[in-house]
Amino acid sequence: MPSSTSNFKRRLRLPRLFFRKPSQFESVHGGPPLEYERPIPRLAWRGITVVVVLIVIAGTCAWEFYCRSIGYGPTLNDNEDLWTMTRRRVKPESVVIIGDSRAWFDLDLDELQKGLGKRPVQLAMGGGCAYPVLADLANDENFHGTIVCSVVPRLFVAPPGTPPMERGEKAVRRSHTQTPAQRASQYLAMPLEEHVAFLKQEELTLDDLLKRLPIPNRPYAQVPPRLPPYFGTLDPERRSRMIEECARPGSELQRRIQQIWLPLFTPPPPPTYIPREDFGKKMGAAIEARFHDVAAAVQKLRARGGKIVFVRFPHSGELKKLEDRETPRAGIWDRLIKETGAPGIYYEDYPELSGFNCPEWSHLSAGDSVEFSKRLVPHLRRALQL
Amino acid sequence: MLFNSLTFVVFFAVVLTAYWSMRSWNARKNLLVIASYVFYGAWNPPFAALLFSTTAMDFWLGKRIAKAKERHSRRVWLVGSVCMNLSMLGFFKYGNFLLQNFQWLLARIGIIYQPPHLDILLPVGISFYTFHSLSYTLDIYRGVLQPTKSLRDFVLAVSFFPQLVAGPIVRAGDFLPQLVRPPGLRAGQFLWGLLLMTLGLFEKIVLADTMLSGSADRIFGYAGPLAALDSWLGVMAFAGQIFFDFAGYSTCAIGAALCLGFHLKDNFRFPYAAIGFSDFWRRWHISLSTFLRDYLYIPLGGNQVRPVRAATNLVIVMFLGGLWHGAAWTFVVWGLLHGSYLVVERVIRVFFENKEWASNLTTRLLAGFATYVAVCVAWVFFRASDFTNAARMLRGMFGGHAHGDAILTTREMLQIALVTAGMILVHWSLRDSNIETAVTRLPRWVVTAAWALMACAIILTQGNSNAFIYFQF
Repeated sequence: MPSSTSNFKRRLRLPRLFFRKPSQFESVHGGPPLEYERPIPRLAWRGITVVVVLIVIAGTCAWEFYCRSIGYGPTLNDNEDLWTMTRRRVKPESVVIIGDSRAWFDLDLDELQKGLGKRPVQLAMGGGCAYPVLADLANDENFHGTIVCSVVPRLFVAPPGTPPMERGEKAVRRSHTQTPAQRASQYLAMPLEEHVAFLKQEELTLDDLLKRLPIPNRPYAQVPPRLPPYFGTLDPERRSRMIEECARPGSELQRRIQQIWLPLFTPPPPPTYIPREDFGKKMGAAIEARFHDVAAAVQKLRARGGKIVFVRFPHSGELKKLEDRETPRAGIWDRLIKETGAPGIYYEDYPELSGFNCPEWSHLSAGDSVEFSKRLVPHLRRALQL
Repeated sequence: MLFNSLTFVVFFAVVLTAYWSMRSWNARKNLLVIASYVFYGAWNPPFAALLFSTTAMDFWLGKRIAKAKERHSRRVWLVGSVCMNLSMLGFFKYGNFLLQNFQWLLARIGIIYQPPHLDILLPVGISFYTFHSLSYTLDIYRGVLQPTKSLRDFVLAVSFFPQLVAGPIVRAGDFLPQLVRPPGLRAGQFLWGLLLMTLGLFEKIVLADTMLSGSADRIFGYAGPLAALDSWLGVMAFAGQIFFDFAGYSTCAIGAALCLGFHLKDNFRFPYAAIGFSDFWRRWHISLSTFLRDYLYIPLGGNQVRPVRAATNLVIVMFLGGLWHGAAWTFVVWGLLHGSYLVVERVIRVFFENKEWASNLTTRLLAGFATYVAVCVAWVFFRASDFTNAARMLRGMFGGHAHGDAILTTREMLQIALVTAGMILVHWSLRDSNIETAVTRLPRWVVTAAWALMACAIILTQGNSNAFIYFQF
């Protein structure tokens, strides 16, 4: 059998399988003799491997220390598999929280459990549209529990194909199609994410680091909007809490996030290839369709004895001004309540709910979220007739 | 189970440890069969039963073919095997496609027929393992392979986990002999296998997914007119993405097999340094192109027929090669384009092959460039979601949109340019060599640094478990 690199050309020769009689060896062993053997480069592999392992360990540790030194801490990544894991906890009579990151940060599961008698399942997702999850729960014949749905108008009526909708759809799809391998990967990843700070799938990956390079762009280049940096932690129940640095008045992190929300909540210009009027009509039709679909989902849920309450969570500063201007209450919120006939809690209607300040304009601090949840409970009980 | 997932890391470590700690060769083979079915079942357990049933059928049919004395009965058993495998593939992969086209045909003659939408889940890797299995009965029929006596060995040959779901298409005749006696590990083989796995993952996670896929997706997903530069860059990004994705998987598979003591052949040999399209197909997805050559092109007559017939055969083979990739007419057009490229190349060769200038460096470089451009044009049909999308891309590429949108960021453009330039440089510098020779020639510190850099980059990207493109085929 050839073994040196000097004659590897012979070894690379394709087996001569075609149109020849099998040899005695083949007849006995069930196949032609092995004619192909991959060449192995002759190097000092053990020494190389030891050095590589040492470099990789040193590099990984250095990166971890650096990430911690600039404020990152270990926390779970919010991905479809974690969402699916939580979705599996939904029982027929569960209280389920759906919607966007405001429901995620502002609701404390312990307080809601005390007040509502059941521990809620947290299915809200950052930057996500509530509709795909609402539709999924409405279509789940086993579910006849209670839904607490956060409404950020721009996200709630996000048309199909936009990132908020895709986020929700991807999570729901994963919950229906998750493979045993994906499930196992999630179980294996969680202990790592709970101890390693640099494992941030939407922030400290090579891709995200490259996106931060300060390279000027062509005038009409479509630069995806920047997302806020790490400012919250997530536990295995998907309860999110704002980190202290973000809640600290006047912190640099707080200012940075505030400046990111404004462009993120500003409607993008219509695509150049669609006339403005057509685009407006298309968006209008998509919003009408959303109202119709949500009303149908709510009706379906109620027909089985399920309940739903829509909640508008606190927001502050320039972001509140922007949201009030672009998506006024009379536009989407009032229409939603009217179309669905479901109860709604708009935080500004109640003095005990409206006195909170969001440090980075969009979410409550961890401490305030506990107090807010405590004060929200009586309103939820009343709205849901508990 | 994906190579770029934590589950696979743990799975592979457990399998390797158990495999090399066992003394009995039979026990090791049993372990590999179980591991391969766990690997496959981790995606969708019921489909492991489908994999086993087709394998067992081919095992039995292989025996029948070998036992049959008359040519006619041998042929009957072979037809049985081919029909069984292709009907399985046809049902799962082409069921809805065939129904839609039937509906379209009926509509052309005025019959309105609404077919039921079959909610068929495509078993991952079905195109690959069907061919693994089919090669066995075909080779027995051709008289170049004796049927194996061990069902377990054949099951392992078809389902060996490194190559099970996305190739290379390893023929039973290449793998079964490796199961005769326990493999020995040559010096450095295990660690070289690990390096190849690192290289494969680096190609997939860093180069394909991080550097190129975002730009390709954005360009092919854009609904408006695109500027020529952006269109070309989008196609180049996809050309790089699909190479690194698929070659990355094959390299991982070869590396994983080496760690277990098995030898799989190369599936890619620096295809973007191809000069001409026949050269391209000797370098791209070699296991598929040789499969089609040996089991389809040569039986159709190969080169031993009249030129017109040979050209027709080429187009037929590439048509089916295109269809193998997916149940859509865009894949068929991709295959037909390659078929027509091959025919045109043959005609050109007739006229210019013996000219002196045809083999000088400038001509070769120009021919290589033209090959790359033509391959990129064909990729448009491969990647586009439909013909409208493909037409819009082609119009953009060839200046059809005078004021097309320039949507790529400078960073994306730089990433595409740097990765593509690096890829083409490496392909051209190694086009007549192989990676083993190149690594042997490199100084030790360069190999060490490159390996460490690739491993660090993989850790930095945190692998978000994107599926390999070829899984869907």
